[in-house]
Amino acid sequence: MRLEFRMSVSAHPGEVEKVNVVFARFAETYALPDGVRRSVNVALDELLANELQHGLAGRDDSSVTVEVALDDERVLVTIPDDGPPFDPFGFAAPDTTLSVEDRPIGGLGIHLVRELMDEVSYEHRDGQNVVVLVKYLVAG
Amino acid sequence: MEISTRTSNDIHIVAIAGSLDSTTSPEAQKAIDAVLAGGRKVVLDFSALDYISSAGLRVLLGAAKQLRASGGTLRIFGLNQSVREVFEISGFSAILAVYPSEAEALGAM
Repeated sequence: MRLEFRMSVSAHPGEVEKVNVVFARFAETYALPDGVRRSVNVALDELLANELQHGLAGRDDSSVTVEVALDDERVLVTIPDDGPPFDPFGFAAPDTTLSVEDRPIGGLGIHLVRELMDEVSYEHRDGQNVVVLVKYLVAG
Repeated sequence: MEISTRTSNDIHIVAIAGSLDSTTSPEAQKAIDAVLAGGRKVVLDFSALDYISSAGLRVLLGAAKQLRASGGTLRIFGLNQSVREVFEISGFSAILAVYPSEAEALGAM
């Protein structure tokens, strides 16, 4: 597994776009399958937007780091942050069977990450939250 | 993201190209709000939409709720495999009217 890029963005909602640009270049360089690229794009958007809007809100000095690694079989995304301990996967899945009228707006993001990725994990180590996502290049 | 709107008879067709995510959803929200202010028959053209995240789903759900309340109609066509997968995981394919093609979306509206 080879680290392809590591970047940090500051804690402002508009910063997610910078990660999207670098990830798009990475995906193009290695000709990632569209389905894999799009799933990782969605997962990054969910986790980073969540992080920048809530986890690190009001902390101007904070930043979020994204590391992307690749081997023949999978893409591995690691997102460490130094905010308060927070497990994004520590919530029950939302009820996705409700009607338009009854459906609350929001709450779906982490559910999408869980379903679109092949593996997700969270741990708190050395004072950091560390989220790891794995997506296999070939579905199976 | 690129967004364009056109009107065919009294049906407003909004084409969203690129990504509908936390970065682009505020702009998409504005464009859809503008359409909702003047029309009750709305068709979303997703044939050039690359991917959608929950921020984009939020915009769609808001529009669907508004149109449902005002007796309007919302239809969507042109989903790629990834957008379709997100619709299925989120349950949106069961609550929004999704059509395979523009002709079918515009039919009997």
